[in-house]
Amino acid sequence: MTQDRASDIAPSTRLYERIRLDSLTGLLPLVLLLSVWQLIGDPESPFFPAPSSWWPALFTLGQGDKIIPAILDTVRTFGLGLLGATILGVALGLSIGVSRTFGRAVGPTFEFARALPPAAIVPVATLLLGFDETMKIVVVVLAALWPILLNTSSGVQELNPVLLDTARSLRLSTTRTLFGVLLPSVMPAIVLGVRVATPIALVITLLVEYLTAVNGVGALVGEAQRTFQPARVYALIAIAGLLSLVVNSGVRFVENAVQRRRVGDQ
Amino acid sequence: MLVLVAIAGIWEVLVRFSIADVQFLPAPSEIAAAAQGEIFGGELVGRLIHTVGVTALGWGIASVIGVGLGLLLGLSPTAYRYSMTSFEVTRAIPPITFVPAALLIFGFSLKMELVLVIYGGIWPVLINTIGGVRSIAPELRDVGTMLRLSTPETIRKIVLPAAMPSVVVGLRLGLSLCLVLAVVAEMVGNPEGLGNGLIRARQALQPALMFVYVIAAGLLGVALNAGLRATARAFLPGNALKDVSAS
Repeated sequence: MTQDRASDIAPSTRLYERIRLDSLTGLLPLVLLLSVWQLIGDPESPFFPAPSSWWPALFTLGQGDKIIPAILDTVRTFGLGLLGATILGVALGLSIGVSRTFGRAVGPTFEFARALPPAAIVPVATLLLGFDETMKIVVVVLAALWPILLNTSSGVQELNPVLLDTARSLRLSTTRTLFGVLLPSVMPAIVLGVRVATPIALVITLLVEYLTAVNGVGALVGEAQRTFQPARVYALIAIAGLLSLVVNSGVRFVENAVQRRRVGDQ
Repeated sequence: MLVLVAIAGIWEVLVRFSIADVQFLPAPSEIAAAAQGEIFGGELVGRLIHTVGVTALGWGIASVIGVGLGLLLGLSPTAYRYSMTSFEVTRAIPPITFVPAALLIFGFSLKMELVLVIYGGIWPVLINTIGGVRSIAPELRDVGTMLRLSTPETIRKIVLPAAMPSVVVGLRLGLSLCLVLAVVAEMVGNPEGLGNGLIRARQALQPALMFVYVIAAGLLGVALNAGLRATARAFLPGNALKDVSAS
């Protein structure tokens, strides 16, 4: 059942384990593509400016000093959003896992909320909350919440009931049961959920920034597009890609560290 | 279900008696009235059809490309060795950031929306097909060799059925991604469909109408997912369902 649930929401991440950056030879097509692009691409082209013109385009018209603050903004929104999603997801997931009634009560609502395209939430959020950091974080939380919530709740349902019975017969307080028994034993499920949620949180951060033009890399891409600076758009896309590579390998690193510590514990 | 009704009831009371005085938050009754107007006299149905059409078409094309490319990369170690890293690096770039590039290249058009939906939809299908093909037990392939099946026959009779559960998961992830990208493209690029309706309502400061579109998009998501699940259950043998039915 855990297997089912985990594979249901994290099927592709399971496969990423097997599919790795095996070799540099695999970079061949990309290098080839960029080289051909460089050779036949015109730096002035409105559609496909040559790759060599990307980097300088970041710094034209005195826009160079916008890049670092934008990256920091994006990282902050992403980080706070993921943190919020983790806290809310774990809290709701634990409640659903522990109380069947609560789970059944909120089930349909969550099913619907989960199917909402995050982009559709953005206009509502801007209307209700305005164009600010809070709005950005709320949208990220609402989108990144689900994998964490589902993994946590199924993690609780998978627990050996003896565990909770033991806590009860030892007359542990609710707080101690929660932090001493429940949380540690669902930790692997939570970590898996957070890993699935991480790329989602980053994508949604960029999406919100692009749609609302409130700070961050996403807003810069939008601005570059509206002012017809294709080279700058491509440069920012590359930056977003790098950011996502760094974030994803960071999460994988943390997950491995957590797992190693657990293995060490036992 | 009861809880949904209860939430709507509390929401209605809060807004009606201005207990929660949030600016621009319409009461459920207003949303229902707006929905009625939009369904019977407005543009909702047309927009819905547009979004469904683009999502389905883009997803279909993306799935064919994804499965085809996935089979190639999964079956040929050479192709895998000489291209996988490129795919990994490209995949890391969030599809959302390609919206501005697509807008520059294709302008405000249906083409832009479709290209974006196809591009985004390919990835989950591709990755899951590769994974599914590569994790087929070697014995199964040996059976194919022993029976002297030709390569197309091996693919049709052995590889595809064995990889199907994983492929179906990719198809499902791809479908929800396609819907998201279609809505985004409609919001910023192609002025049609649900996404555009949402933006129009937002700009016209008609929150009730906006909620109608949000709810329509959500229901569409649920419906597409359920439809895919039902199709998979109808056409695929038992073991392909395990991953699909658990949603």
